[in-house]
Amino acid sequence: VFPRLVSHNLALITFSSTVCGLIYLTNVYIMSAIKALNPKAEVARAQAALAVNISAARGLQDVLKSNLGPKGTMKMLVSGAGDIKLTKDGNVLLHEMQIQHPTASLIAKVATAQDDITGDGTTSNVLIIGELLKQADLYVSEGLHPRIIAEGFEAAKEKALEVLEELKVTRVMDRETLIHVARTSLRTKVHSELADLLTEAVVDAVLAIHRPNEPIDLFMVEIMEMKHKTDSDTQLIRGLVLDHGARHPDMKKRVEDAFVLTCNASLEYEKTSVNSGFFYKSAVEREKLVAAERKFIEERVKKIIELKNAVCSNNNKGFVVLNQKGIDPYSLDALAKEGIVALRRTKRRNMERLTLACGGIAMNSFDDLTPECLGHAGLVYEHTLGEEKYTFIEDCGNPRSVTLLVKGPNKHTLTQIKDAVRDGLRAVKNAIEDGCVVSGAGAFEVAVHDALIKHKPSVKGRAQLGVQAFADALLVIPKVLAQNSGYDPQETLVKLQTEYKESGQLVGVDLSSGEPMVASEAGVWDNYSVKKQLLHSCTVIASNILLVDEIMRAGMSSLKG
Amino acid sequence: MMGSLCREVVTLQLGHYSNFVGTHWWNLQDASLTYDPDTPPGELQNDVLFREGQTLGGQMTYTPRLIAMDLKGSLQTLRQEGCLYETGKDLTALTWEGNVMMHKASPTAKNPFLLDLDKLDKGEQLSGVDFEQIPVPHCSVSVETINSRLERAQKGYQLEGSVRVWSDFLRIHLHPRTISVIHKYNHDGETHLLEAFGQGEALLQGTVLEELEDRLHFFIEECDYLQGFQVMCDLADGFSGLGSKVTEMLQDSYGGRGILTWGLAPVSHPDTTPMKELYHLFNYSLGMVHLAKNSSFFCPLTLKGGLARQPPAPPFFPHLNYDSTLWYHSSSVLALALDALTVPYRLRHNSIPMWEFADTLTVSGRKVVAAYGALPFPMAQGSSLPDALGACAATLPWKPLSTCPELGDGRCFGQSVTLRGLEGQSLVSQQRLGMQPPTTLHSLDCGEDVLSSYINGHYPATPFSVHLVSSPSKLTPPFPQIFSQTLGPQGFLQDQAPPLNTLSPLVSSIPVLTSLQSSPALGPWLSELQRGASTMDPRRVAPSFLSQGPELSDFQESLEQLRLLAGCYRDDCDGTLRSSSEEDDDS
Repeated sequence: VFPRLVSHNLALITFSSTVCGLIYLTNVYIMSAIKALNPKAEVARAQAALAVNISAARGLQDVLKSNLGPKGTMKMLVSGAGDIKLTKDGNVLLHEMQIQHPTASLIAKVATAQDDITGDGTTSNVLIIGELLKQADLYVSEGLHPRIIAEGFEAAKEKALEVLEELKVTRVMDRETLIHVARTSLRTKVHSELADLLTEAVVDAVLAIHRPNEPIDLFMVEIMEMKHKTDSDTQLIRGLVLDHGARHPDMKKRVEDAFVLTCNASLEYEKTSVNSGFFYKSAVEREKLVAAERKFIEERVKKIIELKNAVCSNNNKGFVVLNQKGIDPYSLDALAKEGIVALRRTKRRNMERLTLACGGIAMNSFDDLTPECLGHAGLVYEHTLGEEKYTFIEDCGNPRSVTLLVKGPNKHTLTQIKDAVRDGLRAVKNAIEDGCVVSGAGAFEVAVHDALIKHKPSVKGRAQLGVQAFADALLVIPKVLAQNSGYDPQETLVKLQTEYKESGQLVGVDLSSGEPMVASEAGVWDNYSVKKQLLHSCTVIASNILLVDEIMRAGMSSLKG
Repeated sequence: MMGSLCREVVTLQLGHYSNFVGTHWWNLQDASLTYDPDTPPGELQNDVLFREGQTLGGQMTYTPRLIAMDLKGSLQTLRQEGCLYETGKDLTALTWEGNVMMHKASPTAKNPFLLDLDKLDKGEQLSGVDFEQIPVPHCSVSVETINSRLERAQKGYQLEGSVRVWSDFLRIHLHPRTISVIHKYNHDGETHLLEAFGQGEALLQGTVLEELEDRLHFFIEECDYLQGFQVMCDLADGFSGLGSKVTEMLQDSYGGRGILTWGLAPVSHPDTTPMKELYHLFNYSLGMVHLAKNSSFFCPLTLKGGLARQPPAPPFFPHLNYDSTLWYHSSSVLALALDALTVPYRLRHNSIPMWEFADTLTVSGRKVVAAYGALPFPMAQGSSLPDALGACAATLPWKPLSTCPELGDGRCFGQSVTLRGLEGQSLVSQQRLGMQPPTTLHSLDCGEDVLSSYINGHYPATPFSVHLVSSPSKLTPPFPQIFSQTLGPQGFLQDQAPPLNTLSPLVSSIPVLTSLQSSPALGPWLSELQRGASTMDPRRVAPSFLSQGPELSDFQESLEQLRLLAGCYRDDCDGTLRSSSEEDDDS
């Protein structure tokens, strides 16, 4: 008895995306039997079930195929209302689509989970799963039992992981290697000129926050977007950019050499603890309560001013207050009179970043303010664009939190660059944490294919066919890379395999010529962890789908409440 | 000095029905805006709800301080970023030099109202309306707004058949940061629906949380005197769980502010099944507990007859003629009620801050309050408030808007009563000189006293406050014409119905009376909800309800809290939560 995959809403074979405008309809749905117990339940069995699942996987593959690699196709999705989404990223695309088919949705979930874990590899994941099922189908249609293929897949995966360990290149992750890794990732997302610009910014950002022997926390790299009519640029700010400014006309727009007080304590009138009911209190009585509360706030403001006067008495240094809570106009006024620049409602997630960038301690009360609580920034200035204000906090000595500022003319461009930057950051982080990299451009897949074919005879029985299927499936990566660049996939593949056999070096596709190239010499490096995760998840999901021998659809409507 | 400050409010709309109500609500707000500098400022302070902004091109904007969340596929004709801040349609891919594949969906069809709106936006004339013949009210041409044009056009759009989603009748422009689409769940279809409380709870993390924090930050940072949040949240589906988490986050981050939460539910859902009804019941119960816990007060707001699985018929409003199954209709009634219920904290002078408003109504942990409304307040054309109240001396004119019927025994912990739409002279009796006033109501000098005296008659010796606002809610298109023939253009009862076969004039405003109450009636009402939910074992009757959390023990704990909450409303209760050992049997 095979395991069953039963879900409440199974077997809608329309795989549609009304949002993007991509519409896929696969009319392979076969209703093979109608359950006597539940007239609304629809069932597809054995071969029919496999056919349904494979067609779903291939459908998904077809959508993402053209995305792969630096020569892939960018997709622009325009909704019925005119919203634009620009992407080349399989992960983003899968999130945008309204996938109704349960199998396709399952694959999409695994592929997007891959992205959550490693930050890349979504498209490869979908391509390999589709290809594994296609290869398996050749044998199943000739009578081979899916379970035996699944056994072969498992054996092949174990071997492939061994090969991965052998082929990985362990080296010190210097800036140059990291740049290669980041460039390999980014060139598949944006055009080469922009990719090179982003590459340096991304690598330097990670290096700035990285401390030896500590895990890298990418939350310490803020990605800030700025919509700018003419400017399109991405730069690394060694400090913070906040998307708000001071709310008082007399506060300076630019302060140099400034003390920075980071705090989380209210400087505005709030509800008092006194339970004041409007049933009983007159307006005058309420005013009195408010006045009492104001005195309380004024005391707090006084304490800040005292500290400012203590540290700034004999110098020209500036004083900047960054408060997570509110600061009302009266308090702002008092602070402005003393030459203090104050920002209110700093985002919660920026509080930690602020002290990591500027130093100092985030204060939750003003009771024990001392000069040691203060951080420092070489330059703090404000920039206004329409109704948006930005505050740059720069020259922070040794910042442990930095900002990547992305400028672009419209929302969809900004979003796409931000997505690319995020993937680039993940690639650099992975490389540092893995301590090793793997040859890209299809070189790894060609080598694994070769190793699996050699390994095949040592596998017992018909499971060998599963190993063969697995090996062949991996070749989809170099083939699609070549195809997307306009070369003949088979011809390119044969060249690669020949060159690999002859030279023994890891060769991938040179996308500018279609000829083999030594991936390491060209600086095309992929993440070790991405490849590893890929081998695991593709095998598991493809095997599971193969083993489904019955699909039942039981809509919510047919369940008794 | 502090009394006349503008205390800003940020509005959150969570869920599709909330956005239906919200859309009507913003249309109502927009209809009362005036751009004419010569008009004296109204009784309500619009800046409480709206913000002034500026586009990159330097144009001034006036948009709601609003965050509206909905699911993938729910926007239809509306662009997520709106078109106010548009920087020009740029269909080029600056970031790629290779192939670009365009997938363009055919534009979604627009209904006649949206088409007219587009025309007005472009400065064109509406077809079929001769503007020359309609007298222009005395205001300069420069302040002629889309609203005044729609108002004068007197065009009745019958949108009943063509409203699919809320953007189909949205009249105003929204700020680009307003609309937030949750991509994880679909608005319709058969898969990936946001149906259970736990699904919604699990949503508020990662990028969804970060994005919400950014949006909140944008609207809040610029506020000088933020008084709090009005949260409209769908109660029947998974938004109930999302709302619980959102209000929890608001309470954590903006503790000193008011969080007034309205739990909204349509009378019926299309394609409902017994299983879905069961989900709704669980979502109501869990939402009630958690939204109440995390908010300053929580008020269910619905035209349903009850929250049980087989509820009684919706309340009957004598002068309304609406289709309760249409979301477009029922949401308009609720928006109208909300426009009166929220008056106290939106007043230009002597407004009551949200936190104070809530504190007074929720003494001793009684966080759930119930709303009632007379829509319209029944008053004959040309008569006076004492006359109108005299006519309903025996029974209160309002109907439950939270499904909780009044006990009618005069007990109440506290209530806030609002009357909108009666001008000064109609508030008191006109026939005073020399004549003996027929009732005490006729002898009083101001509207506040008349209304207070009336309320006091029904709820003697209980705390309450009254607020009177003379300006009515303006019902410009596309507010549906859901009124009976007996109502005149200003919403007052006509002596005689207009003769048959003539078009009755469109009703352009109505007087509204609402009450927000904390009363002993809520005790048995909450108990009933709690009993309805706790007799079911979700593991047995709806196995997938808990699949994304909460744990069964947490589910049961929430129902226990609901029971304790119901206990807070016992009259003899001194307010402390009763220990669970005490038997509670209030029905």
